[in-house]
Amino acid sequence: MNRAASGPRERLEILWLVIAAGGAALGLRLAQLQILDSAEYRLMAERNASQMIYQTAPRGRIYDRAGVPLATNQPSFSLIFLPGKGQARQDLEPLARELGRQLGRDPQDLLETLDQAEREQTSARLAENLPTPTMFQLSELKTLYPGVDLITEARRYYPFGRFASHLLGFMGKMSPREWKMRKAQGYRADSRIGKMGLESAFEDELRGRDGGIQMEVDAQGRLKRKLGEIAWQPGSNIHLTIAAAVQKAADDGLRKSITGRGAAVAIDPRNGDILAMSSQPDFDPNALLSTDPEEVKRISRALPEFNNAIAGAYPPGSTFKPIVSLAALNEGRITSRDTFFCPGYFKLGSRLFHCDKHEAHGTVSFLKGLAESCNVYFYNVGLKTGGDRIERYARAFGIGQKTNIPLRGEKSGHLFGPETRRKAGKGWYDGDTLNLSIGQGELTVTPLQMAVVAAALANRGKVWRPHYMQKIVYVDGRPDFVQKPELMSQIVAKDSAWDLVQNAMEVVVSSGTGYPAKIPGLIVAGKTGTAQNPHGKDDAWFISYAARPGESPSIAIAVLVENAGYGAAAAAPVAKKMILAAFGLPDPDVAREAREAERAARRVLKPAGAALPRPPLPGGAR
Amino acid sequence: MSALKQPQPGMSGRVDWTFVFAVIGLVATGTIAMLSAASTTMFYQAILQKHFIALALGASLFSLTLAFNYQVFQDQSKALYVIALVIMAAVLVIGTSTRGHRAWIRLPGFSFQPAELSRVLVVLVLADFLDRRALRVQDVSTVLMSLAIAAPIMLLILKQPDFSTALTFLPMIVGMLFCAGADVLQLLFIFGFGAATLTFPLVYTLCQVRFPNAAPGTLPALVMSMSKMGWATLATMLAIAGLSALVWRLLTWMRLQVRPFAFIAFPLIAASALLAGIVINGHMKSYQRNRFVAFVAPSSDVQGAAYNVIQSKVAIGSGGVWGKGLFSGTQSQLGFLPERHTDFIFANVGEEMGFIGAGLILGLYMIVLWRIVTAARQARDRYGYLVCAGLASMFAFVMILNIGMCVGLMPVAGIPLPLISYGGSSLVINLWSLGIVANIYARRYALL
Repeated sequence: MNRAASGPRERLEILWLVIAAGGAALGLRLAQLQILDSAEYRLMAERNASQMIYQTAPRGRIYDRAGVPLATNQPSFSLIFLPGKGQARQDLEPLARELGRQLGRDPQDLLETLDQAEREQTSARLAENLPTPTMFQLSELKTLYPGVDLITEARRYYPFGRFASHLLGFMGKMSPREWKMRKAQGYRADSRIGKMGLESAFEDELRGRDGGIQMEVDAQGRLKRKLGEIAWQPGSNIHLTIAAAVQKAADDGLRKSITGRGAAVAIDPRNGDILAMSSQPDFDPNALLSTDPEEVKRISRALPEFNNAIAGAYPPGSTFKPIVSLAALNEGRITSRDTFFCPGYFKLGSRLFHCDKHEAHGTVSFLKGLAESCNVYFYNVGLKTGGDRIERYARAFGIGQKTNIPLRGEKSGHLFGPETRRKAGKGWYDGDTLNLSIGQGELTVTPLQMAVVAAALANRGKVWRPHYMQKIVYVDGRPDFVQKPELMSQIVAKDSAWDLVQNAMEVVVSSGTGYPAKIPGLIVAGKTGTAQNPHGKDDAWFISYAARPGESPSIAIAVLVENAGYGAAAAAPVAKKMILAAFGLPDPDVAREAREAERAARRVLKPAGAALPRPPLPGGAR
Repeated sequence: MSALKQPQPGMSGRVDWTFVFAVIGLVATGTIAMLSAASTTMFYQAILQKHFIALALGASLFSLTLAFNYQVFQDQSKALYVIALVIMAAVLVIGTSTRGHRAWIRLPGFSFQPAELSRVLVVLVLADFLDRRALRVQDVSTVLMSLAIAAPIMLLILKQPDFSTALTFLPMIVGMLFCAGADVLQLLFIFGFGAATLTFPLVYTLCQVRFPNAAPGTLPALVMSMSKMGWATLATMLAIAGLSALVWRLLTWMRLQVRPFAFIAFPLIAASALLAGIVINGHMKSYQRNRFVAFVAPSSDVQGAAYNVIQSKVAIGSGGVWGKGLFSGTQSQLGFLPERHTDFIFANVGEEMGFIGAGLILGLYMIVLWRIVTAARQARDRYGYLVCAGLASMFAFVMILNIGMCVGLMPVAGIPLPLISYGGSSLVINLWSLGIVANIYARRYALL
């Protein structure tokens, strides 16, 4: 039967073993791919076959302390085109004509876009940020032409426009480098991110998760069908301690001041809430969201990025005198009854130090010295008190230290005194003490620091860490973040010393240099300052606080107007507007301006009306 | 002896029904997969039509082959060889070329790819040859003459050019020689040569991809410099190869003890293999080179050469255990999977029918191969035994190469999966060759 040798038949078994081993290897590999690693490959297959048409999610809103929205979102409508099957160029022509008319664009260009989308079977974004009326007209097209669709997106909107712009910040496109860094966090190349202020500092909280329409695509990227929609998730809302009215008063006041450049900060002396933080010149963050890239580029180039309120360091000038006073009085170096004679100058060795305008104040007491800001009086006080003590008090008030407010670019300013000098390995001379006594020399402060000083003067020694945050209301169910007031330091001084300083500051406003800030019915205290600026005209300062009679002060303010000369004339009115706004009182300036504007409008209208050929009126009236 | 005691059953009792049903199962699964995979192509109707005509033709050829004694093929061996030569020559003369391959003979009404037919014919011819040489099967001349018989057909296929199909001849011939009882050492020499020949381009490509800037003097640089050999070196190596072959043949003829010469022959064979590898490396087409690159470094270029392999693996892996359902595989239906109804149809099965479907095909294949081996074991004559061994080697190699390619274990070779991939002439030829196996098995007791 078996004609072949038995040997070769054994070889057949070896052949079969080899084949079976091959089959087993393939079976194991199949099990590995389809059972063990299946989830990974499924993900890869899904990524292969789907494409998102993204919809930008609304960003978290920013509210003021009373819930007035400072930054919100507006629905913005984008027109997209999803090509159907077998639409010929001729079919698209009427659509392109119609769209061209509605959008004010060249129909030929649009037809090209539509035709390309049709040929490649991809979606095309025809227009972004459509105004509402156009949107309504276009929604008609949606029923007439298949494939045209309007999608809603959220677009950042700042209801007040030019308002706290340095604090709020603005939104902008990412640079390629920024995008590379943020890609992993789900940003897209055309996503906008916060570029300054809060928008930048709280980017992670404010940002929402984008939604979109998920489309199935084939290997050539052609759209096959809609797989579903992913709802967006809005960002977390932020509530600020800012009071919109005070902020607006600060912005408007600074803008209309002599130079229009400067900063104003208002703090609640009871807890360190920042009520307003203004820096001028400012910008309109809405304009930076324009769809016209050329316009955005133009605005960005001229953008005043510098936040004077925290990043500008200026000599405080006479607004430093309350600190010198407190040091002298509390340390018992002078009493309120001590007087010095002011001939208009002070002689130290062979050098002459002058009073402002070289005018002689005669015999000067403490009250008169502060109220009329007599430099000679403070030269004497300074020499009596000594640079060390003044420096210690200034440091306790937070001068020379950052407040660590969570905003980019804060400066610490420079505390100038014997100890600082010693650390730098330099000596301290009486001439330096004289400069320090009147807030000049190497002493520099930020407006925010001066607002903290004003608040500490108002509340008798509590140096609050200034904060703008009230709370963050998280969308993802995390408990709200609520900001708690925090003391930076506490200045311990005798009540009598506080009484004298506060009293003198009230006199400054009621009958001294700060009279432009006087408000009937309110107790307003303050100190003007005219700081010598080595780079130009003097900077105008005014620090102030105000209270209803019988209540503790509820607002402390520092105003700086760059190169504006006398603090009383340039800075005090800004503070007055802010105080009026804080107490809900009408601003007579605003009312007057409104009346004037009305009158001016009438003046303009009359001659224009007269120039027109007037048709004869029926009834012969006039 | 035991067979004689058994009652002689009728024809239906002798047919291997396990085998027949496994083949039917494979063809049915393949048809279902094809229905789904080809549904997105432009010529869906035409493809279906051709497939079902081929199916009917193949089924009738399968049955018809069962009806007469397979030994007819042994008797007509010379005629079969002539047919194989003629059709392979004809395809080069009157064939039409698609995508650079002149592989089709187009006749009115249908077109026909003769390479696979000639492959089965070579099995039949070689089986006859080895049967006749049963007593001298250990001679090296048997191995060389077997190669000489297959060589003209293989060269004609290489001329098309279809490197992959020509390659499938080698394991088939080895399988037959091995089962016929040829000297294992001789086989090792010859096919070690073949393997070394293929290894060089692989190693070369690997060096090129991994060490593109290798410093001179290092091993990768040495390997890469090999490919740029001058004509003089080439001639020297050829001379060495020729001389060594001559010495070896002389010694065998002188009936000296061959075995010690293995030590001389090994380096010579390695050297000439290297040379052959260099020649192949130099003549590789860019798409073939890309396949090598895709195999040695699959992640090197996702959109380029490795794209097919990755998409195939993603398709199979994403199918999971149960699959995504017919007509709903995203990889296949959306066009990510290349050649989805032909070479990569197994990936389509893996995606749409999951591990169950892919495992079913693999399992049915193993049953078919097991039955072919069984048919070989039980064949009544040495010719039948050798035909079955050859066909088992051929089907097993092609199946492992194709499925291995789909799952990323083998380099990409443009070889269809027999009985599953779309291809009319391939289906007909494969069913016919399996009909011969069924015939050999059915006539294991009596020739009828």
